[in-house]
Amino acid sequence: MSRWIKFFVVIILGLAVGLVYGWVINPVEYTNTAPDTLRADYRSDYVLMVAEVFHADQNIELAARRLALLGSEPPAQIASRAMEYALGVNYPTSDLNLLQKLTTSLQAWQPMPEGNLP
Amino acid sequence: MNTEGKPGRGSWYLLTGLLIGLTLGLLIAWVIAPVTYVDTAPVSLRSDFKDLYRSLIASAYLATGDLGRAQSRLSLLGDVDSVHVLSLQAQNTYASGDINGTANALSKLADALKQLPQVILTPSSLPPLMESSTLPVLAASGVVTLTPNNRVTFSPTLMVTPTPRPTRTPTATIGAAFALISQENVCDGNLVVGLIQIDVRDASSQPLPGIEIVITWQTGEEHIFTGLKPELGDGYADFVMNPNMEYSIQLASGSQVINNLHIPTCQTDGSEGYPGGIRLVFQQP
Repeated sequence: MSRWIKFFVVIILGLAVGLVYGWVINPVEYTNTAPDTLRADYRSDYVLMVAEVFHADQNIELAARRLALLGSEPPAQIASRAMEYALGVNYPTSDLNLLQKLTTSLQAWQPMPEGNLP
Repeated sequence: MNTEGKPGRGSWYLLTGLLIGLTLGLLIAWVIAPVTYVDTAPVSLRSDFKDLYRSLIASAYLATGDLGRAQSRLSLLGDVDSVHVLSLQAQNTYASGDINGTANALSKLADALKQLPQVILTPSSLPPLMESSTLPVLAASGVVTLTPNNRVTFSPTLMVTPTPRPTRTPTATIGAAFALISQENVCDGNLVVGLIQIDVRDASSQPLPGIEIVITWQTGEEHIFTGLKPELGDGYADFVMNPNMEYSIQLASGSQVINNLHIPTCQTDGSEGYPGGIRLVFQQP
């Protein structure tokens, strides 16, 4: 085997070792993540919690602020996605109602521009 | 060295190739295509996000009264001792002004959990999770266990640890003022000079955490809370007085005002006086 062939064989060997080390032995760790990376079921449950609190306090701004942790999409869209997921996996009717109310309220809600705040 | 006595280049080129390959592999694994942060579980959240998540769980509990669901949700955060973490967060939230009003929800959830047998979980207490996900498994100690693929799992078995009767959590009786039942000078050279130690108890002499204490002096005022040093007791709080200054103390939720507090002088036989501290005990009648 020529030197060049051996050279490229060990490069590939090193590449393989590097990938195994980086992906299997010592991969990037799942720590200190943000709520916007949560799996769909956890996101939906988070939105359901917001809906439960909103049902009690009717504080739509606080609900929107809490939903903002789940990403940069409009809160109504986040709630709507959670509603879709909840329908897909058969959440209890009472939970679906809460999510529906939150989604509807957020769709009708007009956030006050910061400049208009007192 | 080769057989002819010249320094040989041997197999260095192989080592060079290996290092190049290794570098490329790590570059791909860590930089170009690292493991991505998607589909994570609440247990992996950063601690401040966990606090927000916990606050929301408590607020939802306050809104619905569904303790089973709150417990299931808390188990997703992987706290070893949920009650302790909730109590601590409630105290910290009280101390930092409680802007969102969640301290009350946190402490009520902690109280409710304290009064339950250690672990009661039903898989139905949470809305359905993804089909691919396994359900959370709680060990008898209440510790969430993780499967090798880093997913929180959940045992469908109802598990109740054989704990004694749940102890009642001491909470302040609304409207009942506190009375000063003891005031004494503390002469202990090991303590900080001018330390006021305050103990707040309920009617059954149980320590009360989260009680706001207002300390005023001629030029200022400070609010402190009991329970921020749990190692000294849930009903304990302290404050250091300055020399030549008089202080007044009152519990924010209602008590008599204790005036003219200043650093006392302690005397031991045949020696000069030295500055001591004060210990006050408040209790609900």
